Amino acid sequence: MKNTILKEVSKIVIPFIQIFSIYIIFHGHLSPGGGFAGGTIFGASLILYRIVYGKGDAQKKISYKRLMHLMCISLIFYGVLKGYGFITGGSYIDLFEIPLGTPGRILSGGYILPLNIAVGIVVAMVMYLFFTLFYEGEV
Amino acid sequence: MKKLIAILLTGILVSILLVGVYDLPKFGRADNPVNNEVAQRYLKKGVKDTGALNIVTGIILDYRAFDTFGEAVVLFTAAVAVLVVLKREDS
Repeated sequence: MKNTILKEVSKIVIPFIQIFSIYIIFHGHLSPGGGFAGGTIFGASLILYRIVYGKGDAQKKISYKRLMHLMCISLIFYGVLKGYGFITGGSYIDLFEIPLGTPGRILSGGYILPLNIAVGIVVAMVMYLFFTLFYEGEV
Repeated sequence: MKKLIAILLTGILVSILLVGVYDLPKFGRADNPVNNEVAQRYLKKGVKDTGALNIVTGIILDYRAFDTFGEAVVLFTAAVAVLVVLKREDS
């Protein structure tokens, strides 16, 4: 889409949307929100970028390969961390226990923060993938 | 013939599910299995166990993290299915 106003406005708006989504993901264990909500907002910012700047610029930022790598790596990360114990009958990997910290700080809650980030990446990539596939038929 | 079998199967399935629903405990009674000690425990010890002030996140990402893994896998599977159906081959 060739529209100067849209491009200049989205140049300002997209960083704010992304910072807001990161805020929601990182405060998932302190306030309402979390990986799903934050990931959706991040995906919305990617969709806006795709609409305004077109296929070529968007593919430079997030190519199909990078998108799939991000999605699969975060899903496998989640699965190894939390799904492993259910296959082996309750014996978790001997990971070092992240200390829970003081409730109320951002860096607290053990594995909740990394898991939130993993879920957020998966949701954001799925949103972007759905939009691009239904809109243009290619990522 | 195929349609008749489909209708019959659907009827059987619906009746089985309705029988199952009929056996559910009545809504809102105090001695329902829903009102057990689990909710009390989550509310009382949630912050101490998980370190998360938001109890919803504490439950879905710590007590029931495997369930959330299933949700993420459902999303991933949906994405892969849409990819198979809609992605153009010539790109």
